[in-house]
Amino acid sequence: MSVMRLPSGVYHETYVQDHAWWQTRFVWVRMLILFLLLFVGIPGLGNLYIVSVANIVGYTILSALGVQLLIGFAGQVTLGHAAFIAVGAYTSAIAMLQFNIPYPVSLILAALFAGVWSVLFGLPSARVKGFYLIMTTMAAQFITVDFVIAQYVSRIGGRGHYFSLPPGTISVGPWVIDSELSTYYLMLILVIGSILFMGNLLRTRIGRAWIAIRDNDIAAEVLGVNIVRYKLLAYFVAGVLAGLAGAFWITSLYFVSPEHFQWSWSLWLVGVILIGGVGSIYGVIYGAMFMTLVPEALKALLFLLTQSPELVALFPFIPQLLDKFLFVKEATFGLAIVLFLLYEPKGLAYRWWQIKNYIHLWPFSY
Amino acid sequence: MDVFLQLIITGVMVGSIYALVALGWTLIYKSSGVLNLAMGELTLIGAYVSFTFYQWGFPFPLALLATLVIGALLGLLTERLFLQPLIGEPTLTVIMVTVGLSFFFRAVVALIFGTDTLVFTPAVFPSEPIRWGAVVVGQVYVWSFLAAIAMLLIFVAFFRYTRWGLSIQATADDEMAALSLGISAKFVYAIAWAIAFMAAGVGGTLLGNINGINISVGYLGLLVLPAVVLGGLNSIPGAIVGGITIGVLQNLAGGYLDNLTILGVRLIPGGVKDIFPFVVMTVLLWFKPYGLWGWVRIERV
Repeated sequence: MSVMRLPSGVYHETYVQDHAWWQTRFVWVRMLILFLLLFVGIPGLGNLYIVSVANIVGYTILSALGVQLLIGFAGQVTLGHAAFIAVGAYTSAIAMLQFNIPYPVSLILAALFAGVWSVLFGLPSARVKGFYLIMTTMAAQFITVDFVIAQYVSRIGGRGHYFSLPPGTISVGPWVIDSELSTYYLMLILVIGSILFMGNLLRTRIGRAWIAIRDNDIAAEVLGVNIVRYKLLAYFVAGVLAGLAGAFWITSLYFVSPEHFQWSWSLWLVGVILIGGVGSIYGVIYGAMFMTLVPEALKALLFLLTQSPELVALFPFIPQLLDKFLFVKEATFGLAIVLFLLYEPKGLAYRWWQIKNYIHLWPFSY
Repeated sequence: MDVFLQLIITGVMVGSIYALVALGWTLIYKSSGVLNLAMGELTLIGAYVSFTFYQWGFPFPLALLATLVIGALLGLLTERLFLQPLIGEPTLTVIMVTVGLSFFFRAVVALIFGTDTLVFTPAVFPSEPIRWGAVVVGQVYVWSFLAAIAMLLIFVAFFRYTRWGLSIQATADDEMAALSLGISAKFVYAIAWAIAFMAAGVGGTLLGNINGINISVGYLGLLVLPAVVLGGLNSIPGAIVGGITIGVLQNLAGGYLDNLTILGVRLIPGGVKDIFPFVVMTVLLWFKPYGLWGWVRIERV
């Protein structure tokens, strides 16, 4: 299995070499297969259910990337990220509906506006840390979504409670996004683009400054990192990613409502990165997959159980569980977070890394 | 002026319930350093437990007593199962465990009791309001206020005059010194959680009597967070003052800001009551980041 590692005796001589992503031929082949699977394999199955689940995974990845950046790389906290996603979604929707701005431009506007909004609530991070910062991000959630958006923004244009986008409104040039499949391709482009962007950013001076702040902010300041500027930059970039996620969200439902961006969604995103692994981009992907696929599997299982009349007679609460599946999902999520933090605190990414190492070193694991 | 007085009095009465819940929260934070975001769900559980007992035909004081007992047991259980293994972990880890617990508790409550609003029937407190001059206050508020104040007094006496209460205070003050004097920290944490569950249970029951019980009682429990931030996290008198202040501010905002019109334009369409505490808190954090009575920590590398 040495194909994934450099052969013995070959060393990195520069920082650039050390941080290169695709170091061996094997990684090239693996990524090629992955891309083929994503672009051809999953849509090629022709199963719209799988595509729609993949869309939810993609949306979760996009949303959680900013959370990972703040918590996992910059050492800040956010329990109000859904607010910035909401800002992105509403900016994009209003730009398209009120001003007839094409979707790609509205996407950029959404990202920028969400970034600025996020900086506004990141400002206290210059003074406070830990719990007090958590409280301000929570306040961001309630002020933005439950007040500004629900009471003021929703009234723009007199559309009532939610903004619905007429079919055909969302298009990138001649490419109209009007089906699960086209949403899927848009999702792939955005997810891959954001991951490349964030991964590359973390290899630069900015990324190293963030990591220094995360590890010890006072030491970082002593070493000459302008921590206020870099903290605010982290909030800005996280807001930009959230804005992209929000602008993507409206393509999959064709309407936005404040109910899509409740506080529980913010908490859910933090849970995603904790389960996936804090401080790892892979962690976002694993966490998003886990948190989407496990409830889907559970739902399928419950559905199977209701199909057999004997079981239903024995446990009459099973069909009720299916009716109130939202709460089953939330209970599972809560329990999953607690159990992961107690028994697997480094998340799925770390476990995967360990398994890989075990295989690499086998049979001489010392 | 009458309206103002009315809003203030109702605010103080609701605020005393927040103060009770905030006291439980501060207690956990002071003794074990855990920032508990599941406090809202603890009030929710308390409300539903006492409701269940009341529907089974227990008289209300007995139902409240049963809530206290069950709350204490649940508190001990939660602390033992979920919080004790996490002693010494980073802040975010512990907070997210309490977040996980809050999701779990809320979902379980919703699965068992459903999402409809339940009302204590027959009503616990007489519906005839009390009048002082022009001020009219529902009896529910008055009795809740009295009950909350009684609970607060009991807890304060407990801290001042009992051995357990003193050991909690000692641990909160200096854990090392308390350990060396033979106080078991684990025991103190367990009591702190038990008391927090009890305080939240009473708070939830009283809130449930005012508005009826549904899942949003958990949200009302969340309002203790601005209250404790206002008072400074580690001050019990601060938590009580903060709770009452938040109650008053919330009522005043709901009364005056909600339909504020300037030059015929409705400035704020509504919903200000729910978010006003958080606005106050954010503004406060800009100017006084450690609350009104909190300790300023000096950090060393």
